[in-house]
Amino acid sequence: MSDAAPVVPVAAPDAPADREDGLTALGAVRVVAGREIRVKLRDKAFLATTAFLLLLVAVATVVPVLLSQQVPDLRVAVQGAAAEQVVGLAADLGRQAQEDDDVPPVTALLEPAGLPAADIELVVLEPEADVERLVRDEDVAAAVVGESLDDLRVLGREAVPAEVDVLVVAASGQLQVAAAAEAAGLSREDVAALIAPTAPQTVVLDARPTGSVPPELLVLLFAFLFYLSVLTFGMSIAQSVVEEKQSRVVELLVAALPVRWLLAGKVVGNTVMAVGQIVVIVSAGLLGAWLMGRGEVVGQLLAASGWFVLFFLLGFVMLACLWAAAGALASRVEDLNATTVVMQVLVVVPFFAAIFAIEPGPVQRILSYVPFTAPLLMPARIVLGNAEPWEPVVAALVVLGTGIAFIALGVRLYRNAVLHTASRLHARQAWRGGER
Amino acid sequence: MHELRLSGVTRTFGDRRALEDVTFTVRPGRVTGFIGANGAGKTTAMRIVVGVLAPDAGTVTWGDRPVTRADRRRFGYMPEERGLYPKMPVLEQLVYLGRVHGLRTGLARERAEALLERLALAERAGDLLQSLSLGNQQRVQVAAALVHDPTALVLDEPFSGLDPLAVDAMAELLQEHAAGGVPVLFSSHQLELVERICDDVVIIDHGRVVAAGSAQEVRAAHTGRRLRLRVEVPGGSGTPVAMGPEPLTGVPGVVGVRADGERLLVDLTDDADDQAVLTAAQRAGTVREFAPVVPTLAQIFREVVR
Repeated sequence: MSDAAPVVPVAAPDAPADREDGLTALGAVRVVAGREIRVKLRDKAFLATTAFLLLLVAVATVVPVLLSQQVPDLRVAVQGAAAEQVVGLAADLGRQAQEDDDVPPVTALLEPAGLPAADIELVVLEPEADVERLVRDEDVAAAVVGESLDDLRVLGREAVPAEVDVLVVAASGQLQVAAAAEAAGLSREDVAALIAPTAPQTVVLDARPTGSVPPELLVLLFAFLFYLSVLTFGMSIAQSVVEEKQSRVVELLVAALPVRWLLAGKVVGNTVMAVGQIVVIVSAGLLGAWLMGRGEVVGQLLAASGWFVLFFLLGFVMLACLWAAAGALASRVEDLNATTVVMQVLVVVPFFAAIFAIEPGPVQRILSYVPFTAPLLMPARIVLGNAEPWEPVVAALVVLGTGIAFIALGVRLYRNAVLHTASRLHARQAWRGGER
Repeated sequence: MHELRLSGVTRTFGDRRALEDVTFTVRPGRVTGFIGANGAGKTTAMRIVVGVLAPDAGTVTWGDRPVTRADRRRFGYMPEERGLYPKMPVLEQLVYLGRVHGLRTGLARERAEALLERLALAERAGDLLQSLSLGNQQRVQVAAALVHDPTALVLDEPFSGLDPLAVDAMAELLQEHAAGGVPVLFSSHQLELVERICDDVVIIDHGRVVAAGSAQEVRAAHTGRRLRLRVEVPGGSGTPVAMGPEPLTGVPGVVGVRADGERLLVDLTDDADDQAVLTAAQRAGTVREFAPVVPTLAQIFREVVR
């Protein structure tokens, strides 16, 4: 109402008169947005949240790789010719396993397939040496004793390390099979075929475009990031508005700037920070994956994160002005919980709806067009690979259209409520015009 | 510099009429005091001047044309309810407000630093506003109204909450800006203060302007309609005593007579002949004193607002 027609009949806010003092709408929005950004960059809660999310990303990308790369160094004492032969082969197998095992998927840690990787060092003992003492003193991880393949003993102190156990069993098996085959007069090739049979080739007819991160996990991750970001930055917009109301500084600002420039500056500043935070976190994830040598995941994430960031931007801006309006309805910070409750519901309910609709189906399809769940579910459908190429475009337009309507609504509520410093307003009063 | 003028400004809130056909001028180079009781409409009028509120009818003009947003951006404003960002460093928020008012960053910083220097706050420039004493916060508020070198000053109760020294400093500041050719409008309850520093006065009551003009004009307009007399009449024991009001009540043009200690205060209609009162007094006794009352603004205020 401050820049309503009756008082300023000659100059609309962007009439040339505005340039006399060098302040255009764009300039003003930039000044206001700049303050929002500076305040945010000094905000300890914001910095802590960002640091926490980065830590989370680091843990998620680095730890599985480190875990899978942990190859145990094991000293194994051998006494006797057969023992030396078996452990020698076991050491070879353990080395081979390291080479094949090019970072297994996270799930492989839980149910290891194939032989374990290990660095086995042979400690060859004289026949008269006291094997049991060596094992007891923990000079070696385990010991293998025996002159013939069918009479081998594996000694451990409390237990034999799993890697040693598995590798020695495998090596002894291979050697026995080889010995038996040679005794039966088979050729070297036959023996090789016998002890290292060719595995059947697996062909998937309808492969889902998955990397090594399960797509459902990726969707959950994105949904969680969106939820967290909209909630924290939405709250931060509302807080920034009510702070200006409560401290009364808004009257000074409104005397200098049209209300909608002020609102635009706030929304732009917080959007820049929210998208910036998301981009930093997603980039950190990509960088981490790349550094850890998981190129295929980078490609998969990159393809999905483009759409994710676009939908994030649209979904965020759609709600941003309403958050500002919710802030303007409050007269003190203490009122914020009451005035933002509708907004919190508008963020929390779609988040859970999206999680429950994670399985592809008609519900997911419908919800991916509903403006509130579209920013969560349409990128999800792209990642899951069940969206036609035109679908994200349509959903993006739906969100954009809703966003424009919400911005108009938010601007009106904000404009009517932001100078009403005396008491809390209800949305209906603000819609009619916050008369004092 | 231009003059700032309100013409026929009317504003209602719900069914309460806050301003009714308010017209007055704030002239460049002059300090204009805006006085009225609580709820008389001072704040509403000032908010309309700076564009925080829109009038239902009437216009605000700057020079010879309606005021624009860009004009207003160069006004300096101190709202009734003080407020700046509590958690922002002093200098930074002055620079921000300067930029909001259209200054480039460099100039805004330069001016903000100069103002803090002048207000003896230079060493607090990096402190958060909330860490300052209330008096110093007030000074920062003044700086906020001045940082962009305003073309007009609109200050709502700038003296409230100031100690006597700060009042003098503020008065000096207002007069200094006026001397630079800026129209200065400020509201106040402190009528003696207004009397002391104002060139022009606007008195508002229940949303209507009841007196406006230079302080002298306003006084003159309310002078001559009231006379102060001391007349002696023989008392019962032979000593003279002060005459009562009765002998003057019937004189043409006299609308009221009341005793004020030994003296009489006689209110006249605008066209009354004061000599008729003198003649009547002389007929009744010995006139010791006969003078027009030049009222103080405070008296005029109490009278017109009654």
